[in-house]
Amino acid sequence: MSVEVKNLSWEVNSKKILDDISLSISSGEIITILGPNGAGKSSFLKIISGDLQCTEGQVYFDQSNLDDISIQDRSFIRSVMSQSQDVVYDFSTREIIEMGWLDRGISSYSEDFKKAIDQISEECSVKNLLEQSFNTLSGGEKRRVHFARTLVQLWRPSGSDDPRYMFLDEPTANLDILHEQKMMKLIQKKRDEGLGILLILHDLNLAAKYSDQVALFNEGRLVDKGLPKTVLTEDTLSAVYGLKMNVEKNPFRINYY
Amino acid sequence: MLRSLLKDSTILQYTNPLQISILFIFVLSLIVIFFSSISLGSFSFAFQELFNGGSDSLDSIVLFEIRIPRVLLAAFVGASLGLSGASLQGLFRNPLADPGLIGVSAGAALGASLIIVLGSDVIPDFIFGTLVLPLSAILGASLVISLLYIFTQGFGYQGITYMLLVGIAVNAFASVGIGILTYISTDSELRGLTFWTMGSFGGSSWQLIIPALIIISLAMFWMIPSARKLDLLQLGEPEAYRLGVDVKKLKFKVIISSAVTVGISVSLSGMIGFVGLVVPHLVRLLGGVNHSYLLPGSALLGASLMMAADLLSRILIQPAELPVGLITSAIGAPFFLWLIFRIRKA
Repeated sequence: MSVEVKNLSWEVNSKKILDDISLSISSGEIITILGPNGAGKSSFLKIISGDLQCTEGQVYFDQSNLDDISIQDRSFIRSVMSQSQDVVYDFSTREIIEMGWLDRGISSYSEDFKKAIDQISEECSVKNLLEQSFNTLSGGEKRRVHFARTLVQLWRPSGSDDPRYMFLDEPTANLDILHEQKMMKLIQKKRDEGLGILLILHDLNLAAKYSDQVALFNEGRLVDKGLPKTVLTEDTLSAVYGLKMNVEKNPFRINYY
Repeated sequence: MLRSLLKDSTILQYTNPLQISILFIFVLSLIVIFFSSISLGSFSFAFQELFNGGSDSLDSIVLFEIRIPRVLLAAFVGASLGLSGASLQGLFRNPLADPGLIGVSAGAALGASLIIVLGSDVIPDFIFGTLVLPLSAILGASLVISLLYIFTQGFGYQGITYMLLVGIAVNAFASVGIGILTYISTDSELRGLTFWTMGSFGGSSWQLIIPALIIISLAMFWMIPSARKLDLLQLGEPEAYRLGVDVKKLKFKVIISSAVTVGISVSLSGMIGFVGLVVPHLVRLLGGVNHSYLLPGSALLGASLMMAADLLSRILIQPAELPVGLITSAIGAPFFLWLIFRIRKA
């Protein structure tokens, strides 16, 4: 079970933003995209989410071409979190989280609905915020609430083995260290439940610690992909970021000056 | 219709018990106001006699041929304006969107005025009144909404003031158009035109309102099941799309249903301002902002308030009548100021 990206390119005004990228996101695996600003990371995430249409190449979700999957069916198999816009009206936090619940017809609401919202709010430690007005929350709290919403979107009763994928663009932005670690551990837990997860991160050490695979982007190209320890070498990193890096082997740690 | 409403089930699943009781109270007050509206006025009835069959025919003619159609029309126009105000505010993600303020009503009035002045000689009277006039008003309303769509680049978030400024421009254009039409109109056409600018429910008859009531009801039943999708849209268009909402289809639905309901309302009762602005805000203040509660709530409260305003317009200076648009604007304008003040503070 995997998302396969094949020879994907994306041009805007005949400028190549993404150039011939092939990558796969497997169930039960965390793959993290790293790279400097303007490397094309967010564009890549938007294309595989279906927000943007690529100019060349294909995206397959478990052998089905993304173009052939309806907007509604897409929402059942993948959830996406990126920088979110302001919410104008005064929704409660609970209502925002409930927006992740997808309508599957009359049979599915009631018991499951309440259970899922409860369980996920607990996991994301937002339970104490549920009855507050969403607009009064801090930036980091809003981020956790949106994360809870993306989890609600992919909620399944236990025992389900539907393939599901989660694409997260800098999920830990604005979070304090405690909540950053909590969120990364939760992402690992979701991986263990069988989700395929794609992350975009800026913190190299956070990526090295929590990812099964990393993919290094630079100027729209895929520089290298593989295990964190094999991809994140001193030479590659220093060249890509234009900054002197030093990699300690044991424990694995990247220092920069 | 009812089955699709239940199947989408958003009304039940996403409204809380408080909201359901508020909706229930709205229904009760709707009934109370309906019966007070048909019994009060410059011509009063003795209801008991009427229902015991012991009344003369004048009573029943006034009641069934004049009063009830008028009150029903007021209710449906109020529901249209309340519902389209609520759904446009949701679509634009802008609490100041109102069919009047952003120029949709003016577009409809211009469409209708064009037909009154230029078309009255050409088109036979019956088709003219029931068909061409509303169609032209709907066309005018759709045109304005499409223009807004283009100017705001597909209703992208542009800040609250931008859309109001576009609305001011559209309103100015429409009043130029209506001004020119006023200048070239004959005396009897002029009387017809004056009616648009102030709004009134006088002169309703079954023949005129039945098609309108049917079309308005259909548009409302088409719109209300999208409540949940409007909620998701509040997260932003990309987020709504990622949650499975076909955003283009949703926009189309809101635009068409608003254009149709506002167009028909304006063609039958003229320009009635501020109802679409005030009603959704009252409903939000009472019970919450989710559209599964807001849309039916705005339709119900809009209907009640419009019947009450019409009742006031009939009894304040009996036996003469005030234009109902005057009353809604007198209440709505200070409310609008208060709203701007509140938004500025927040």
